[in-house]
Amino acid sequence: MEKTSKVKLNQIRIPAIARVEGHGNILVEVAKGKLKTIHLNIPEGPRLFETLVINKTPQEVVNIVPRICAICSVSHRYAAIRALERALNVKTTKTTLLLRTLMHCGEMIESHSLHAFALALPDFLGYPSAIAMTDKYAPQVLSALRLKKFGNYVMEVVTARYTHGENATVGGFGKAPSSEQLLTIKQQANELIPVAEELIELMRNLEYPTAMEDGMTFMCLKPPTDKYGFVGDKVLISTGEEQPIERYKELCNERVVEHSTAKRCRYNDRPFVVGALARMNLLGERLRGKAADAFKRCYSLSWIRNPLYANLAQTIEILYCLEEIDTIIDALIKRIKTLPDETKIIEPSIKSGKDVGAVEAPRGTLYHYYEVNRGIITDANMIIPTTQNLDAIENHIRVAAQNLLLNINTKSLASLSEEQRKKIELIFEMIVRAYDPCISCSVHLVETQNKQKT
Amino acid sequence: MNKPKVGFYNFSGCAGCLLTILNCEDALLDIFNAGEVVSFLMAKSDNVETELDIAFIDGSITTNEQEEFLINLRNRTKKLVCLGVCSCYGGLQAMEYERKTWAKRLKKVYGNKLFNVVIPMESKPADSFVKVDYYIPGCPIDGDLFLYNYARLCRGLPVDMPKTPVCLECKWHENECLLLKGELCLGPVTAGGCKARCPSHNLPCVGCFGPADESNLTSEFNLLKEKGYSYTEIERKMRLFGGVKLVKNLKSLWKKPAK
Repeated sequence: MEKTSKVKLNQIRIPAIARVEGHGNILVEVAKGKLKTIHLNIPEGPRLFETLVINKTPQEVVNIVPRICAICSVSHRYAAIRALERALNVKTTKTTLLLRTLMHCGEMIESHSLHAFALALPDFLGYPSAIAMTDKYAPQVLSALRLKKFGNYVMEVVTARYTHGENATVGGFGKAPSSEQLLTIKQQANELIPVAEELIELMRNLEYPTAMEDGMTFMCLKPPTDKYGFVGDKVLISTGEEQPIERYKELCNERVVEHSTAKRCRYNDRPFVVGALARMNLLGERLRGKAADAFKRCYSLSWIRNPLYANLAQTIEILYCLEEIDTIIDALIKRIKTLPDETKIIEPSIKSGKDVGAVEAPRGTLYHYYEVNRGIITDANMIIPTTQNLDAIENHIRVAAQNLLLNINTKSLASLSEEQRKKIELIFEMIVRAYDPCISCSVHLVETQNKQKT
Repeated sequence: MNKPKVGFYNFSGCAGCLLTILNCEDALLDIFNAGEVVSFLMAKSDNVETELDIAFIDGSITTNEQEEFLINLRNRTKKLVCLGVCSCYGGLQAMEYERKTWAKRLKKVYGNKLFNVVIPMESKPADSFVKVDYYIPGCPIDGDLFLYNYARLCRGLPVDMPKTPVCLECKWHENECLLLKGELCLGPVTAGGCKARCPSHNLPCVGCFGPADESNLTSEFNLLKEKGYSYTEIERKMRLFGGVKLVKNLKSLWKKPAK
């Protein structure tokens, strides 16, 4: 989407970051031997979703918000449902909750296997794409595609389509899957457990560059039980604090920064990190079964400093989801048999209210907030994981630039060889990709390079 | 026969249509074999911008940069194919089309900041700017329909989409009619191709494949009014995914004494 830019002497500019969802570019500038600018720019066109949900019914909101982003469409739908059900005091059945956990696991597996293996892994192995990797890594690419396909299948069965399926709605599901479908899912999940374990070994044995390492603050939702999980009404912070999601505005501190029109997030004036790496750091001890074994094998103190381990964390979450699906389906089949009425949609008993709802999207905590007045939405807010991670991404690019550029004894970047430049650019891109940014998602954020640099 | 040079491009949208292509896991290697995929930013990094035989686009046009890029793309591709309701009709983000609310809404979200590089505009479909050869609508597109048409295009054949509305596919599934139950279902006026997923799950059609050609809007309005829905409710529902095409259809409806 970008014009071919002239490379300026003091700049490293990556005009279009490939293998991410949406459009982004990186600009790093050096002046007088010092880092001057580190910008992750996002020239994505505005769609104004917050205004599109106003004057709509809660049902229409659930139709609209998944379209914010295809890769996290289930999470957007789920966050909206949680917010609206809290606002309108809808108490859903256990069957509905189990089905929602199932669809959420489907999305995690699909999104993580696309990201970790097709978008991030090629960098580590020196390829331009997963397709190109098939020359030497065909079995691994096919394993990754099997996992991805399975995640999609789960979403297709539970939500009626793998992207933007409408079956999950406020109060329940239009139709519950059949026992046969559920048993197929269970069987496939069990078959894929060794596949996921093999891919964890592949990811574990990669060489992780260290130039960007720096301390991180993590946040994720606290599951309601003592198990690992992706929903909750409280937020865990690696500082040891615990906050209710109602305080989402204070937790994220969305603000406009000088160098762009984008909103950014900070907590206690520090960048923070959400996503699989945050969840593993904060909740990893809660894992059970094979996922717990994998976690123990893989975890190291680098995980609190190096964002690239998010790729490995995602792979362990795939294994967690596969094991979880096995348990969920046993419980589901039992309930659907004994309590068939539990699958009906429960209508809200009140028509006005306001509240926030949160879920862990594959790439981090996602907050939705709605005010409903007599069945019509009057106010809405959504805080998206990528928005929360942007400051941290820039920070890690800054640290990497300091380590990589300023150690090279040059006055200007012009003396970098083509090879050196390529290597440095790759590290910057790997940092961005590790955060699995979902740029379409960042709905509030239209960031423009508003200074044409000299 | 030489492989056609193919490019996939994403404008403003959820990227769900390009994702649907990546979701064709079993056919993914064939997609990359049947055509020479020279540009697919979301999937690979060795992209080349060159003359193309077929350019696929998803997303709508919402900035001046995108408009320039689209014109440039049109000039170097033999066929331009729109994927999804965003590129075909403007998408959800065009639901307020011609209501003149956009400037106010932009200000509400972004305040008074002026954009120096990207100039935003209200979402428009590709054919507001350039000639489009084929339309494959959906939100998102259907994977099977994409593969079928991708194979046709690679062989130099035209796109072939279902010409019937969702209603027909719903009948094939032998579902109970939701309209008869009094629900606001857009099945009769929505383009088919989705396999009637929502009505098959007891949920009314929300119109995510966009308006069907030659659909009888007047009759749908009258039927829904009989069921007790107001004009505002019906239009609001239709506008969700109908975009620019629906607004054009509604205008023709206004000419008739519909009230």
